Amino acid sequence: MKRLANFYTEREQSILGGGFILLLIVLWELMPHLVPLSKGFSLFFTTPWKVIEAGYQLIVENKIQEHFYVSSIEFLAGLGLAIIVGLPLGLITGRSRDLDATVDPFVTIFNATPRLIFLPLFILWFGIGIWSKIMIVFIGAVFPLLINTYEGVKNVDRVLVNVVRSFGANEWQIMKIVVLPNSVPYIVAGLRLAIGRAILGVVVGEFFGASKGLGFLIATAATNYKVDVVFAGVAIFMGLSLILTMAVKKIESNLSRWRPEGAKTF
Amino acid sequence: MKKKLFAEHRRFWLGLGSVLFVLAAWEVLLTYVFPLNPFFFTKPSLIAVAFKEQVIYGALWGDLAVSSKAFLWGFSFAILLGIPLGALMGWRRKAGYTLDPFFTALYASPLVALAPLIIVVFGVGLFAKSVLVFALSVFPFIFNTFAGVRSTDRLLINVVRSFGGGETDLYLKVILPSTLPYIVAGARIALGRGLVGIIVGEFYAASEGIGYAISRFGDTYRLPEMFAAIFLLMIAAVGLTEGMRKLENVLAPWKTTQESR
Repeated sequence: MKRLANFYTEREQSILGGGFILLLIVLWELMPHLVPLSKGFSLFFTTPWKVIEAGYQLIVENKIQEHFYVSSIEFLAGLGLAIIVGLPLGLITGRSRDLDATVDPFVTIFNATPRLIFLPLFILWFGIGIWSKIMIVFIGAVFPLLINTYEGVKNVDRVLVNVVRSFGANEWQIMKIVVLPNSVPYIVAGLRLAIGRAILGVVVGEFFGASKGLGFLIATAATNYKVDVVFAGVAIFMGLSLILTMAVKKIESNLSRWRPEGAKTF
Repeated sequence: MKKKLFAEHRRFWLGLGSVLFVLAAWEVLLTYVFPLNPFFFTKPSLIAVAFKEQVIYGALWGDLAVSSKAFLWGFSFAILLGIPLGALMGWRRKAGYTLDPFFTALYASPLVALAPLIIVVFGVGLFAKSVLVFALSVFPFIFNTFAGVRSTDRLLINVVRSFGGGETDLYLKVILPSTLPYIVAGARIALGRGLVGIIVGEFYAASEGIGYAISRFGDTYRLPEMFAAIFLLMIAAVGLTEGMRKLENVLAPWKTTQESR
């Protein structure tokens, strides 16, 4: 008995946390047996088991692979573009005060507004194919990357920069030796935020004017009252973003053990 | 003398200059260099006319009011539910252990993917949009209150206890003041997420609202009006975000913002 109590106190955190999630899932599964559901409500109701079945069915019948492929392409291309543009721009604006002042109004304005409002415009410009989605992913993900890289460069130790400069390093060498390594933790944190924005862009972009992709799958399933398929799609998105966020978080905490723990930001 | 004026406010003038330059270049390029295809692009002078028509005389205020209403309902409920939940999680260790993984999973996942279902279930209109705003903006309140309560100085708590302060004293005199800056920082994040909720809800299915206005102007190729609506939303969003940032500085001037914007 004492052993059991020890076992519990040692792992209290994970037992309580995991147990709560498990309890919710079990309750959800048992809900139709516990409370009588009205006919109207059961139209919108599904249970975890049915969601798993629906997900399995989608995979077996080869219905999801194509959507998954399209969504991944949009995600990767948009995020890749955001990295290609955001990183160098963040590095440059962090180093040059005048350039920072010139770009800052645009960064502030675009960062404050939800970039999804450009979706109708992008559909008009780039059509309903994957390019409008790539662009919406790009514009969503580029700002967190740019801003975090900028903050990283700004927080570089002046003394280190001056030392390297005294030894005759040029701007490029300063960047390579001091600035870039120092900003890596910030850049990774920016990447984590950017991944969240990118997934948001993929999902919402595919809701409107699309014929392929996981977001499209969810939207059509919802309008056809296939609630189990909706949840299967949502579960896939949840799983993917959890895996990606955790992976980047892991890298982040490895790289920035020396930084104080702040509030959670996703 | 003039040179000094420029040097002192160099940042401001450079920023203003670059904005004006971009607007002027946009106007000039589309007037003299490229032929303007009105179904595809537009220029600042046309947007200004549309802005005047739509914003000063027109219906965009109505759309903005409709969107604000849904936003306020969702956001208020997010505050009312998120702050007590976060406080509970921070104050009672076991509650924190129990709820943290569940909320973290929800916070990290794109809840916006549920938008079509929420709209199908709750219908087109105020309620579905409010639910969407709530679902997206409640988590920053929960987690920032959580972090704020946890980081409360134990010494201050012990002092109040030693002097015979009760539970209410602790909450009102120690925990609330030290958590407030965190909550305001959370509100700024929640604001951005809530705006996403409004926009998605109105793009997806709505008959009024600023998001609906933008997608309707897009569908009917009325680009100047569309840009006018986008600019109006931008102004509102920047105003709210900067206001929140000011509030943050007033409430916690010592806290240099290290978390990402």
